[in-house]
Amino acid sequence: MALFKRTTKDLIIRIDEFLDNIELGLLVFRESINSYIDKDMEAFSRHLQKVDTLEGNADRLQRMIENEMITHSILPQHREEVARLLDVLDEIIDTVKSSLNEFIIEMPEIPAALNKDIINLTEASVEAAEELIPAARAYFTTPYTVREKLLKVYYFESETDKIALNTKKRIFQEMKDIDLAHKAHLRYIIHHIENISDMAQKAADMLSAMAIKIVI
Amino acid sequence: MILFFLTSGLFLGWSLGANDASNVFGSAVGSKMVTFRKAAIIASIAVILGAVFQGAGASETLGKLGGVNAIGGSFTLALAAAITVYVMTKFSLPVSTTQAIVGAIIGWNLFTGNKTDADTLSKIVVTWVSGPVLGALFAVLLYIIIIKIKKASRIHLIRFESFLRTGLIIVGAFGAYSLGANNIANVMGVFVPAFNLQELDLGLFTLSSSQQLFLLGGLAIAVGIITYSKKVMETIGGNIVELNSEAAIVVVLAQSLVLFIFSSSGLSNLFVKIGLPPIPMVPVSSSQVIVGCVIGIGLYKGARNINFKLLGEIGIGWIATPVMSGLLAFFSLFFVKNIFGIDVGYKIIGGAASGAVTATDPGISAIIRYLLLAVLITGLLVGIYYSLIERKKQKELKKSEDKFWHYLK
Repeated sequence: MALFKRTTKDLIIRIDEFLDNIELGLLVFRESINSYIDKDMEAFSRHLQKVDTLEGNADRLQRMIENEMITHSILPQHREEVARLLDVLDEIIDTVKSSLNEFIIEMPEIPAALNKDIINLTEASVEAAEELIPAARAYFTTPYTVREKLLKVYYFESETDKIALNTKKRIFQEMKDIDLAHKAHLRYIIHHIENISDMAQKAADMLSAMAIKIVI
Repeated sequence: MILFFLTSGLFLGWSLGANDASNVFGSAVGSKMVTFRKAAIIASIAVILGAVFQGAGASETLGKLGGVNAIGGSFTLALAAAITVYVMTKFSLPVSTTQAIVGAIIGWNLFTGNKTDADTLSKIVVTWVSGPVLGALFAVLLYIIIIKIKKASRIHLIRFESFLRTGLIIVGAFGAYSLGANNIANVMGVFVPAFNLQELDLGLFTLSSSQQLFLLGGLAIAVGIITYSKKVMETIGGNIVELNSEAAIVVVLAQSLVLFIFSSSGLSNLFVKIGLPPIPMVPVSSSQVIVGCVIGIGLYKGARNINFKLLGEIGIGWIATPVMSGLLAFFSLFFVKNIFGIDVGYKIIGGAASGAVTATDPGISAIIRYLLLAVLITGLLVGIYYSLIERKKQKELKKSEDKFWHYLK
C-alpha cells in the first residue's frame, strides 16, 4: 500500500530539493550579475558553473519526479498540472543559465552610469521569481494561502517592468555618447534579465489557477 | 437439476457484482488512484466474506416477507427480479435489485395466497427512504471532519493523497464487505427457505445451509466484479469523482456504513441493550444510498442545482420496480406451475411451511467444497503470476532508467 512505501516520502523530498535548486539558482544569478558589474570575471565564471550544476540537478529531479508520479500513479487528478508547473519552474532556471551564458559570450559593456539600474533590475526580477517558490511550496501544504503569496510575484514583476522601461528610456534618450549598436545590445541584455520575472509571472498565473482548483 | 434452479440467483448475483461494485470502488478506479485489478481482487474477497459471515440478517427479513417454500418458486422469483433489473437497465431507468426482489416476493405471496406481512413490508419500504437520508447525514458529517483535519494538519498534498489511496482501499474493502452482507439477501434470500443443505465442515469453521448458498451467491457476485465491472467502474465511477478526492472517499465510507448498519445484527443487539429500538435488517440499494450521499455533500457545499429529476426517477423506481417485478413474478409462477408442472410453493398455514419442498441434495455441499478449493488454488496461481509479471515490469523500468542516465552522462 502506498502509505507503507517510501515512494511518498522520497517524492516529497525530491520536490523540495527541486524547488531548492531553483531558489539557489536565482540567488547565484543575482550574485553573478553583481560580479559582472564589479568586473570580477573569476567569480562570475564560478557562479556560472554553479548555475550549470543546479540546472542539471533540476532537470534530473524533474524527470525523476515525473517518472515516479506516473509509475506509482501518484496525484492522478493533479499530476499533469504539477508536471507542467515543474516544467515552467525549470524554464526559470534554464533562462537564468542562458542569460548568464549570453553575458559570458557577448560580454556586454555596461556603462558605469547604468550599474545601479542593472542591479536594481536584477534585484526586482529575481525577487519576483524568488517569491514564487514559497507559493509553489504552499500549493502542496496550504493551498488556500497560495494566492496571497503570489501577490508579491505580481508586484515585483510590475516593478521589474517599470525599472526596465526607465532604464531603456535612459539608454535611448539620455545617453547620447554611446552608439546605436551598443544601445541595442544593452536593450537586449535588459530583456534577458527582465525575462526571469516574466517567467515567474507565467508560473504564478498557472499556480493561481491550480490552487483554486485544489481548494474548491 | 437442483443446481439448475440456482442459476437465476447466480445470474442475479453476477449482475449485482457487475453493476454495484462500482459504487464501492468506482471512485478509486475511475480516478486511477487504485488499479482495477487490485480493486477487483479486494472487492471479490470482501464481498464473499461479508455474504458468508454477515448475510443472514437481511436475508431473514426477506424470509419474513415471504417464505418461498419450493425451489421452483425461488428460481422463478430470482429470474423475474433479474429480468426486471435487466429490462429497466436496458431502458436506462434507475433500478435496484432490492426493490425488484421485494416485488417478486410479493408476487409470490399473491400467487400462492400467502399474506404479505405488512409490518415487514413497511419496515423494508421505510429503509429505502431512510437509507439515502442516513447516507446523506453520514456523508456531511464525515466530510466536515475530513476537511477540518486536512486544514489543521497542513499535510503535504502527496502524503494526503497517499493516505487517501490507502483509505480508499480500506474503505472499499469495508464497502464490499457491507455490500456482500446486505445485498446477498437479494441474490440468495429467496433460496434460503427452500434449501436444506448438510453443514459443511471446513476445518476452521463450519458453513450452515444458508451460508453455503451465500458463498455461492458471493462467488457469483465476485465473478460479476471480475468479468464485467471494469467498464462500469471507469464510467459511472468517474461521475462520483467529479466532487473531489476527499468527497469520493467520504461518499464510499458513508454508503458502506449505511449498508453495514442495515445488515449488522450485532449492532442491532447493542441498540436493544442500551434501550434503543432495534435496527431493521433490510437489504438497501447501494446506488440509491450513494445518490443520497452525493446530494448531502452537494447541499453542504451550497450547491443550488440539485438534480430533482434524478430524485424523481429514484422515487418512481421505488414504485415501478416492485410493481413490474411483482407482475412478472406472478405470471411467471403461473407459467412455471401450469405449463412446466414445477412446484412453486404452497400456502403457509400457522407459520409453518406446509408441504414445503426443500432441496436436500448432499452432493451440493461436496460441489461447494471442491468449488472452494478450486477458487483458492486459482486465486493463488493468478496471484503468483501477477506478482511475477509486476516484478519483471519494475526490473525493466529500472534498467531503462539506468540506461537513460548512463547515456546522458
